[in-house]
Amino acid sequence: MRCDRRRFVGHRAASAFAFAAIFSVANFGVASFGLAMFGAAHAAAAPADAALGLDEHGQIENPALQARFEDITKQLRCLVCQNESIADSNVQLASDLRRQVREMLLAGQSDQAIFDFMTARYGEFVRFNTPLEAKTLWIWASPAILLALGGAVVLRITRARSRMPLDDEPTPGST
Amino acid sequence: MWKFLTPMAAFLLLVVMFAFGLNPKRDIKALPSPLIGKPAPLFNLTDVLDPAKPVSNGALQGQIYVLNVWGTWCFACREEQETLLKIADSRVVPIVGLDYNDDRAKAQRWLQQLGNPYSAVGFDPDERTAIEWGVYGAPETFLVDAHGQIIYKFISPMTLDVWQKEFLPRIEAARRNGA
Repeated sequence: MRCDRRRFVGHRAASAFAFAAIFSVANFGVASFGLAMFGAAHAAAAPADAALGLDEHGQIENPALQARFEDITKQLRCLVCQNESIADSNVQLASDLRRQVREMLLAGQSDQAIFDFMTARYGEFVRFNTPLEAKTLWIWASPAILLALGGAVVLRITRARSRMPLDDEPTPGST
Repeated sequence: MWKFLTPMAAFLLLVVMFAFGLNPKRDIKALPSPLIGKPAPLFNLTDVLDPAKPVSNGALQGQIYVLNVWGTWCFACREEQETLLKIADSRVVPIVGLDYNDDRAKAQRWLQQLGNPYSAVGFDPDERTAIEWGVYGAPETFLVDAHGQIIYKFISPMTLDVWQKEFLPRIEAARRNGA
């Protein structure tokens, strides 16, 4: 039993659980890849904060920075809901992390610096986009491996079938 | 021979994966902390009971301590409070509190009503210290050694069982190694 300041609604928790359960049963670590593929791509909900560099809608005045803000917050996982990005989630943690991203952007930090900051505190799981590194190579390679395995099975079956006589063809010597 | 072995191997692989995936003891929401083995982030806050009194974990350098993250909005924290009081009574290590995203008056009332297991409670109303510690909910309990390194993190309400099985052996090991 765990808490966040604003608790998310029940059906969302249930669907998140079912989602995670199916994925973890079906494929261990491939789940993170799957979730990365399914990563939500909705518009960022701009939080209204009266701080420096923000307009009356709580957006960063500099449009280039606001675009980067929306892009980055979509790529960071809200660890309370786990299948929502911090751009979509309305729990307290997501709003705190949005504030953190906004402040780092306004301080002139790079996207990489922001992702590194989050990963150092919350782990690789915080990123929807799994970075391509030596230890994550197998995750990126897994679709190709599965495709190759499936292809090999299909090939074997079709080859075996092609050697079989067709049903409506008279087999030699039967007539 | 292979006609029999291949499906059998595939089936056994599935059994292993289901045993892992459906294990009811595995908390799929509990994430490993990347901070384990790293220096504990320093904080300089004020005490929840006294806004004039500073609380910093820098002052705890050289001793093992537990950092317990909580808030009065956290119903699961109420559940572990009794356990924390028992642990504090055993006087093994000090328990430092981190009260985040909270209201000072509510937190003071909470400590008066439920008892105060903490040697000090840092008040973190804007969650900046919580973010530094990678906190993503409450309760969370960290174990910090005398070198100021985080050696363990427990996510869920504390129980005496967890304290005896996970915390005490680590505290003893750290003491043996002079950490």
